[in-house]
Amino acid sequence: MADIDIKNNFSNVGIPLAKLKPLKVRKNINLTLWEKLYVFEIARGLAVTVRHFFVHLFGFVFPPKGQKRSIITVYYPEEKVTPPPAYRGRPVLIMRENGLEKCVACGLCEKICPAFAIRILPGERDNGERYPVSFTLDMSRCVYCGYCEEVCPKEAIIMSPEYEGLAVTDRRNLIYSKEKLLRSEESQKERIDYIRRIYSRCNQ
Amino acid sequence: MAAELIESIVKILFIFGVNVGFFSPILGWVERKQSAIMQDRVGANRADVFGFRLIGLFHPIADAIKVLTKEDFVPDGADKLFHTLAPFISLTPAIITFAVIPFGGHYEIFGHSVNLVIADLDVGMLFIFAFGSLATFGAVLAGWASNNNWSFLGGLRAAAQMLSYEVAMGLTIIGVIMVFGTLKLTEIGAMQENFFRWGIFLQPIGFILFFTCAIAENKRAPFDMAEAESELIAGYFTEYSGLKFVMFWMGEFLEIVTIAGVLTTLFFGAWHLPFVTDQMLLSFFSFAGPNGSNILAMLVNVGTFYAKLIFFIWLQMTIRWTLPRFRYDQVMRLGWKMILPISLINIFITGIIVLLVK
Amino acid sequence: MADLAKDLHTEHMVMNMGPSHPVTHGTVKFMVTLDGETIVDLKTNIGYLHRGFEKMCENGTWEQVMPYTDRLNYVSPLINNVGYALAVEKLIDIDVPDRCKYIRVIASELARISDHYTNIAAGGLELGAFTAFLYFVEARELVWDLIEMLTGGRVTSNYVRIGGLKNDIPDGFKEKTQDVFRRCRELWTDIHKLLTKNRIFIDRVRGVGTMPPDEAIAYGFTGPCLRASGVLYDVRKAHPYLVYDLMDFDIPIGENGDNFDRYLVRMEEINQSMRIVEQALEKMPKGPINVDMPQYRWQAKNDVYNKIESLIFHFKTVTEGIKPPPGEIYLAVEGGNGELGFYLVSDGSGKPYKCRVRPPCFPLTAAMPRMVKGGFLADIIPTFDMINMIGGECDR
Repeated sequence: MADIDIKNNFSNVGIPLAKLKPLKVRKNINLTLWEKLYVFEIARGLAVTVRHFFVHLFGFVFPPKGQKRSIITVYYPEEKVTPPPAYRGRPVLIMRENGLEKCVACGLCEKICPAFAIRILPGERDNGERYPVSFTLDMSRCVYCGYCEEVCPKEAIIMSPEYEGLAVTDRRNLIYSKEKLLRSEESQKERIDYIRRIYSRCNQ
Repeated sequence: MAAELIESIVKILFIFGVNVGFFSPILGWVERKQSAIMQDRVGANRADVFGFRLIGLFHPIADAIKVLTKEDFVPDGADKLFHTLAPFISLTPAIITFAVIPFGGHYEIFGHSVNLVIADLDVGMLFIFAFGSLATFGAVLAGWASNNNWSFLGGLRAAAQMLSYEVAMGLTIIGVIMVFGTLKLTEIGAMQENFFRWGIFLQPIGFILFFTCAIAENKRAPFDMAEAESELIAGYFTEYSGLKFVMFWMGEFLEIVTIAGVLTTLFFGAWHLPFVTDQMLLSFFSFAGPNGSNILAMLVNVGTFYAKLIFFIWLQMTIRWTLPRFRYDQVMRLGWKMILPISLINIFITGIIVLLVK
Repeated sequence: MADLAKDLHTEHMVMNMGPSHPVTHGTVKFMVTLDGETIVDLKTNIGYLHRGFEKMCENGTWEQVMPYTDRLNYVSPLINNVGYALAVEKLIDIDVPDRCKYIRVIASELARISDHYTNIAAGGLELGAFTAFLYFVEARELVWDLIEMLTGGRVTSNYVRIGGLKNDIPDGFKEKTQDVFRRCRELWTDIHKLLTKNRIFIDRVRGVGTMPPDEAIAYGFTGPCLRASGVLYDVRKAHPYLVYDLMDFDIPIGENGDNFDRYLVRMEEINQSMRIVEQALEKMPKGPINVDMPQYRWQAKNDVYNKIESLIFHFKTVTEGIKPPPGEIYLAVEGGNGELGFYLVSDGSGKPYKCRVRPPCFPLTAAMPRMVKGGFLADIIPTFDMINMIGGECDR
């Protein structure tokens, strides 16, 4: 019994009926005789799974065009999935040509991190440059949200496409120091191009 | 006398070796791989020996090694004797019932008449039912003896289900027995030489009913509410681990093989190729002399029997992975209110037809 | 039979379907009092996944709350993001550009599709149809590929921002959506053939867990469970937000309110959501995706490097948080399970004063005893599945 007040043209929660477009899902309530005998519908269901069975069985020997096999499973350690350019993997620090980090220890990523995973100790070099004396990122707290990359004014910390190698036997190995986080700019070129593209289209 | 003894021992070793040694582990592999391919994924394929993967065929060996090295315990407060006894009671009927199933016909080899069945009993069909019903004890004892509410529920459900479906199973077979006129399985097999005398054409309704009852006896899906994984964790064998757990599973797999064997013998022509009589087969192989032709015909027939067996095993696996599970009261209603009356009607109609024809 | 039962001196068995049980996906404890296999009483204990979402929100800034909302209803995280962002924007009283609205609609509907896939797949799995589960999991993987292409994360998307979005639609998104939807429709047809007319499945779910419409409204049901009872209420049509009033879609309703109707309503909603996504991709206008207000939304990097105002507000909003005017607001969106509401109180500082979530599956779980009393133990399973209680949402 659907609560539709036909006379006043409102449904019982006060919304005009013409706005809602109801679609009844159950056309007939009782089972037909065809459905009551189990066998025919079961045979139809079996036809579906048997079709999948033979398609994939022969898909090992005669794969469809362009793929190695017809099953979509990726055989992980031998074949790896390339993540799309938007993928947020592990945060890494970028280094300049002379091997030092680009980071100026402004502390924005430390403030924005929702998991409070970053700790920065700023310092100043002899030539007046500001740099992080220690930059620790606790990987056991990081939630890979991408905020640190978004707020960094210097493109110094970005989310690399790396997703492997985080299973350790001692939890203290998960607190990454600055040295463990540094990467060169060429190795992360794709991600840097991507963020330059997207963060330049923000309000145009 | 000695020749018959040797023949019996060879047959027993062959069947035991093929069933327990070959089919049991292979069915574990088949279940994983077949269900995987049906579900658009790859099954287990990582166990390797010296770098050879062999599409996962080494996994049953890995399973066996894992199971043998597990701790064997009896839970606190459980009945020790029955807890240990239940897997054996569940496994033994599954192995024994294959003794009466013929996997080939009569052959004359070196002057000796070889009958390819271990025990050619006059009451072959009843032997299968009698030993099949002993498997009920295993399930009930396992459920009762573990000191666990969930196992208890599973054991109760298993008991009720297996008892009801044994009654129904017996009645569905009566139609076949009336048509063929004998309980002896070798004779039923021999009578299906003509393709249009196969049991499936003479008793189609009986085939569907018997198939359903047999799957229900075996407690496999869609009738596996006794071991329903999502409701009762593992039902009546929750508290088992190690070798005893594997014995329950082996009993289930061997019963699959037995049911496939019975279906082949009764309904699908036993060991005969379609449209090929025994005489045609022997004359086809006559180039090898009388002994050779018999041996080659024996090999062809045994191969045909096993091919049909494998088809039915595949069909049971497909049904298991496709259909959802029944509810407890619906299983009872199906067994008593639907299968029993239909099988009685089947007997009635078969009786009339047999009377008119003869 | 009743006097026979009195003479038998039987007692009721109390079973504990505890927090870790294969069927209670979402860590809920049921204390079931059984008489044989019939349920006499059912008591629900929730709270095993309580993580203190509302308290955590008071410790972070308005922007920092966004990844926390991902983890509320973790099978449709984008809808939570959208709901929270809409609530804060209404508090600030700003309006986002049109392109942003269309993309938010696309994101919401993709999340809703993946939510319904997960629910029906889990329902099939609990009832024993493993193959149905894996077909819909494959479909869900493909939808997650789309979401990963758009946001960067499959489940924890963290995509919507207050005042806009994180990034625009990538290239090739429309073609990939067409490919994915083609395959998803094939899998939908397979499941339809496997389950909908299968008498074994129908017997398990029809007539089980019935809820008449007036009691459903009294309990506070919303979403597919309410629509299955026959009440026409959908937040997208009743109080349209974003651009839902420009989209053409139907609302499926059921007759009886039993589990079969819930299943059918969800299956049909998947089709309607796919329609909405395709329409939105066609009609999407060009333009900016963020509001041009540096005090609420970080500007483009060029502006941050060159304009002083953008730089100042970038640093201020990160360190102190954005500052909506003081006030309170309640805003509801249509989540995967029903009306997902956010009640926000702001006191003018950078941190929320209070952020309360109205979880749609809380009243549904509360109605569990009403739905299964008198039934069998095996009836708890399809009922609890079709409610789609997500632990993260119910316990927060």
